Amino acid sequence: MIVIGLIAALFTIFIAGFGITMLVFARGNQVNLIECACLSWLLGCGAVSLLLWMCGMVCSGLLLQSIVGVACLLLAIIGWRAKRSANSKIDLPRPVNILEWILGSLILIEIAVLVFVSFKHTLGWDGLLNWEIKARYAFLNDGVIPGSYYSSAGRGFSHPEYPLGVPFTELWLYLWMGEPNQSWMKIIFPFFFAAGAPLLALFVIRLSGRRSIGLLIAALLLFVPSISASPGGVVVGYVDIPLGVYYLAALGYLMLWSKTGDHRYIRMFAACSALLPWIKSEGIILWLVLAFLGFGLSLVRRRVVPFLISIVPGCALILCWRVYLKMVHLWPHSDFAHPSLRVLRDNSDRFSGIFGILFAELREPTHWSIFWLLAVIALIYLIASRKLERIALASAILAPVLLYSLTYVFSMWPSYAAHMTSSVPRLLLHVMPAGWLAIGLALSQTKREAQML
Amino acid sequence: MRALRYLHFVLWCALVAIFVWIGAPIVASAIRENRLGPLETNRSIDAYLGALTGIEHGSEKLPDVFRRLGKDGSLLIFVRDENAQSEFLGMMIGYVSWPREVQIIKVTSPTVGKELADVKPSSVAGVVFCSADPPAWLQHRVSLGSGVVLVPLTEAASP
Repeated sequence: MIVIGLIAALFTIFIAGFGITMLVFARGNQVNLIECACLSWLLGCGAVSLLLWMCGMVCSGLLLQSIVGVACLLLAIIGWRAKRSANSKIDLPRPVNILEWILGSLILIEIAVLVFVSFKHTLGWDGLLNWEIKARYAFLNDGVIPGSYYSSAGRGFSHPEYPLGVPFTELWLYLWMGEPNQSWMKIIFPFFFAAGAPLLALFVIRLSGRRSIGLLIAALLLFVPSISASPGGVVVGYVDIPLGVYYLAALGYLMLWSKTGDHRYIRMFAACSALLPWIKSEGIILWLVLAFLGFGLSLVRRRVVPFLISIVPGCALILCWRVYLKMVHLWPHSDFAHPSLRVLRDNSDRFSGIFGILFAELREPTHWSIFWLLAVIALIYLIASRKLERIALASAILAPVLLYSLTYVFSMWPSYAAHMTSSVPRLLLHVMPAGWLAIGLALSQTKREAQML
Repeated sequence: MRALRYLHFVLWCALVAIFVWIGAPIVASAIRENRLGPLETNRSIDAYLGALTGIEHGSEKLPDVFRRLGKDGSLLIFVRDENAQSEFLGMMIGYVSWPREVQIIKVTSPTVGKELADVKPSSVAGVVFCSADPPAWLQHRVSLGSGVVLVPLTEAASP
């Protein structure tokens, strides 16, 4: 019964996401099946978690599960009808030569290995005490996190202020399985990798026109040790890889929109970027970076209005979550002081230490191999290319790393160095997939017509 | 121009090869790590509580024990400051004791003493010591596992 429930939960997530993807992409002649599957997972998780949160304010238990389930079904039906009325076809791109077959197969094997490895490991510290705890408490309370959880000082350690994107995806699985099964629930994390790797390949292919390089980059992704071998990776149930995948998706579609002007891409950017603050609090920083870069791109391309409309969902979500936390009387708990000039002046001696720790982390081979060396060389290529989108991509990698580092100036931990050492490896994961996109574009220097898959 | 292309090709081939050369053994070792165990409901909680305290099926046993403290009253959890294992254990106790209100207090000395003076027995159902020793005068200690002691406060107060 547990496995049947699990399959039903995953199926409803996929069909909800499929519906939204179709609503965005149906107007094109062809819809790429792989792209559609990846986005179905990402947007499905967003839709289900948001529905659970919003509907949970007015109902609970079986009624809540039924309403969200029916909403998923409706989204799928609306999306399918949109596809049919637009007469668009779903197309499955196939490898065209032996190299593409090898690389494509390697990606599939990597995904299968990650699914297997995920079941071998338990949840990590944050995976359990920051994220899964919310899903379990909600499950034990008929699908709704009790108000007392947010206002409880004693459970401040679990960061009640963190958003519910991933915990409520876990909750959806719990509701269908009928128990808070911490083993089966872990299947969602390799799915984020499985959505991210093909999307990465797709963006490299569309932006460079080189299919083999796109597939190579996606196949190399797993060789970053942090994904599987250190705290924060896919196998321990942290949300940093999922956040990185959403960031990659939002950034990729922003670049494609800037390059082609296709309205479908800006709509997909709107959907993916809006979910950034819903996955982790740091998602607000990533969202702001994209909003800033996107505004710059839209000004140059003279498409400001559609871009401004595209950031409305993200703004609304950030605002709604803030209002909600006020309403539930969140116990004030933060690892950071309120940013002010006085704190900045008082802690200005931290700068050298912060960048020292950052560079030490970037050079750490057990976390990154030489990924960051590749990324730095790729950034030099991108900046030297003097192309607008490529410079924007370079900025989208550099800006979050700098902003994340600067936040430690305001750290309230007794030792800011300990705070940074414990968290910066995970924060770097947020931009790691975007770093691979940069590497892919640097690798494919030859100009070719971008070929649509 | 052709030389530049060769340089570009050789540079990236070398970089990617070094990247895989360093990363692959680390990833391979992570993949081989651990065995596929039974896919149990509370696998992560039980694994941590088992490793930290030796309690088997802690996710069921501990909530049972805390339930016997009665419906009302919070749980005070004393942990050692700057001792990651003690703090983590305190959080795990806080996790499994839901929905009871908890308060986690960090102490600097190995034995809890003056911190107990402020405790109001009327509002506290029990005190848990995680890798910290209760004061000698506190009676009715219940050892929950290695390094975890519970003192039901209502019982301790009674003669």
